Amino acid sequence: MISSRRDFLRASAVASGALAWSHSLPGFVERTAQAAGPLGKAGSKDTLLVVVELTGGNDGLNTVVPFKDPEYARLRPTLKLPTDQLKKVNDELGLHPSLTGFAELLEAGHLAIVQGVGYPNPSQSHFRSMDIWQAGSTEPTLTEGWLGRALKHLPSGTQSFHLKQANQSSPLAFEGAPMRVPSIASLQEFQLQTAASSGTDRREQQKFIESAVQPTGATGLLDFVSRTASNTYASSRRLAEVAQNYQPKVAYPETPLAGRLRLAAQLIDAGLGGRLFYVSIDGFDTHATQAPTHANLLATLSGAITAFFKDLKARGQADRVLVMTFSEFGRRVKENGSRGTDHGSGSQMFLIGGRVKAGVVGAHPSLTNVPDGNLSFHTDFRQVYAAILDRWLGVPSREVLGREFQPVAVFKG
Amino acid sequence: MDTSIKIDPQWAWEAYRPTAAAPWNLQRVGHLYRRAGFGANAAELEAGLKAGPDAAIAALLKGGPGVEEFDARMDELASVIARTNNGQALSSWWLSRMLYTPHPLREKITLFWHNHFATSNAKVQNARLMLLQYALLHKHALGNFAVLLREMSYDPAMLVWLDGRGSKKGNPNENYARELMELFSLGIGHYTEKDIREAARAFTGWELVGTKAVFRPEQHDAGVKRVLGKQGAFKPDDIVAICLEQPACARFVCLKLFRFLVSDTLPVGQELLEPLAERFRKSGYDFADLVKTVLSSNLFFSKQAYRSKIKSPVEFALGMVRALEGRIGTTSLAQVLEQLGQNLFHPPSVKGWDGGPAWLNGQTLLYRQNLALAFCSTEDGRFGNRLDPAVLLRRHRQTTDEQRVAFLLRLFLQDDVSDATRQRLLDYARQAAASKPPVYWTADDIADQRVRSLCHLVLSLPEYQLA
Repeated sequence: MISSRRDFLRASAVASGALAWSHSLPGFVERTAQAAGPLGKAGSKDTLLVVVELTGGNDGLNTVVPFKDPEYARLRPTLKLPTDQLKKVNDELGLHPSLTGFAELLEAGHLAIVQGVGYPNPSQSHFRSMDIWQAGSTEPTLTEGWLGRALKHLPSGTQSFHLKQANQSSPLAFEGAPMRVPSIASLQEFQLQTAASSGTDRREQQKFIESAVQPTGATGLLDFVSRTASNTYASSRRLAEVAQNYQPKVAYPETPLAGRLRLAAQLIDAGLGGRLFYVSIDGFDTHATQAPTHANLLATLSGAITAFFKDLKARGQADRVLVMTFSEFGRRVKENGSRGTDHGSGSQMFLIGGRVKAGVVGAHPSLTNVPDGNLSFHTDFRQVYAAILDRWLGVPSREVLGREFQPVAVFKG
Repeated sequence: MDTSIKIDPQWAWEAYRPTAAAPWNLQRVGHLYRRAGFGANAAELEAGLKAGPDAAIAALLKGGPGVEEFDARMDELASVIARTNNGQALSSWWLSRMLYTPHPLREKITLFWHNHFATSNAKVQNARLMLLQYALLHKHALGNFAVLLREMSYDPAMLVWLDGRGSKKGNPNENYARELMELFSLGIGHYTEKDIREAARAFTGWELVGTKAVFRPEQHDAGVKRVLGKQGAFKPDDIVAICLEQPACARFVCLKLFRFLVSDTLPVGQELLEPLAERFRKSGYDFADLVKTVLSSNLFFSKQAYRSKIKSPVEFALGMVRALEGRIGTTSLAQVLEQLGQNLFHPPSVKGWDGGPAWLNGQTLLYRQNLALAFCSTEDGRFGNRLDPAVLLRRHRQTTDEQRVAFLLRLFLQDDVSDATRQRLLDYARQAAASKPPVYWTADDIADQRVRSLCHLVLSLPEYQLA
């Protein structure tokens, strides 16, 4: 309570200095003006992070395939992917044939693959392991998320969005944020609603509501509310225009994931000051007849993220955006008797953005040294988080993760 | 904001007496009911105005008739929630209490303690334990802080929340000892890390057996500890007593109550706070006396305190429901309040909700405006149609637009809006009356629709966000 008051007083002191012009400019214009500075420098004020959760445990081994390793074909008698269909990353590794878009992004220098990511004593429970990834911690009880804690260190007023599937609730990753992060399914939820008897009536009501927050020279909290409201209504109006006028620069696939990322692109395009976005795609728990399901899922993933990145790139935002994928665990290296795979550990993460150091980071985990039949990890996932926090969002990773993790080198100099 | 205003500490905590410059008027009645409860309806406003400050405050402290019957009914519901471990239902259960209790002040102060000893079912995962903690907070809400602080250190939900259970001799868990000093009694800067480590030893030995806290002497570190300058073979209660002896303790709790009841923003120095803290100490930590002193004070009824708080989501939502004289189910309300940032029994951390200006940002403001619309309009089914402003205004026999605007402004803002705003509402009403409605609407439909819109417009005013 006391600290928030301090923040408020500081904010009003800053605002009163800029009062003369800030009153006449809605918030998004101010922010757009700020954003006109040098873009996308790691840790700069306006970087964006889009987290894509692959729910269920993605089979990393069939996502980035070590085709040269004879063990691969032996361990995956029915699920092995034909070498000639893989999208070659280098002499040893190839992307799953469905990852057409990712291959293109890699070629263009916008995709990094971090290999062998995991954590000590991995849990093979979906729930426990997902909590660990979302919390960025292996403590026995987890109540806060790494993004929620990161928000405590980002400027107050930084907005974040969970773009949900119907009835999904906010992820643990956002818990602990100073203000609850909204879960939204459509732009509709960001409109100032009225119940009007006609179009004229609606305009009259909106006019009343908006003119009630025009600055009157009042001070203190009333001024704070009015300024907040005035910025909000301007953003809401802008969003309505965006919803109407927004034309994606590229065609998005007709999948729910692509729809959610398209919504993220609209929110980014509207300049609402949103910096953290969270989406998920379910279905990776492929215990049986994995091949067709997995191929579809990876096509959906790659198609949606590629369209999203290209859309933002065409809007000049490539250097501001970073997409990160993760899954709660990888799968058992040896396939099971149902042409599927069981829960495993250690897998890869994809990072997509204008400033990532493209290519493969770290070696593919060994297929012969497999404790309990699972890949071992060499990179703690929190080393990737640390890089994103310290070098992309400009948030002290030590504070968020509770201790020091050596950041993985994933960004361009 | 002029922060240079000098407030005389003696004047500040003396009982307010109406004067020509500071009369007992509707604004002060509304202020009292917003802070000491969850807002007033039309009848309560007029009654408070008639009663005067002393009688109104005394009635709030005493609570209305029927408290025992009400509590018994709510206990029955609570036992179902506990039996089925229905953590989802905790928030809506409490919202029902807040809406319908004959003793709103006690409920409001219970909310204060929930934010002070902020415990979340996200970790506790046990509705029965959460309800037991609620009962503890409610029992001592207007009782004695020293007793509450002592009993809290072996409250079962707290033992789970801050890892007191299973903390053993030789390997003490420091979580509770730290928050006891940092957040529950002293505040940062009034203890050392060494004090925490030593105090943690004194809290070893607690275990949970079922839903009961059990003290196991064989797991307790019975050795000598040095805490805050004292030395002895301290047990849990001794540490609490040592904290209560610190001069910082009363100041810390008084400042928190000041932020809760008086102002989010008014700067408070030690000089202003000390007379209040001294009285609190001398009373042996009598919290009812402290609440009464604050609510009766000159400072509480001063211009500096008036509208110097942002309504919490609970205050914002329940204030509307109470003023509209409706009865609603609270399940949907609990969901909306979660979106607005206040999920009861699930505070974001042991620090509680930050509150104040942090309640409002672009998202939550829009959600608030749209919630006001959902209450006023008959198109949103989530809350039923039992809050209809058109029904309210008919009940109060307000039949012309002038009367309606006057009634709504008096009810929600105690007439405290600019002439320009009042005029613009009248202009809107005139324009709306002249506009062409759908052909199948009757004259009553048209008037009702206009009343609902007027009500929503009043609730959308920035002044309505302030407590």
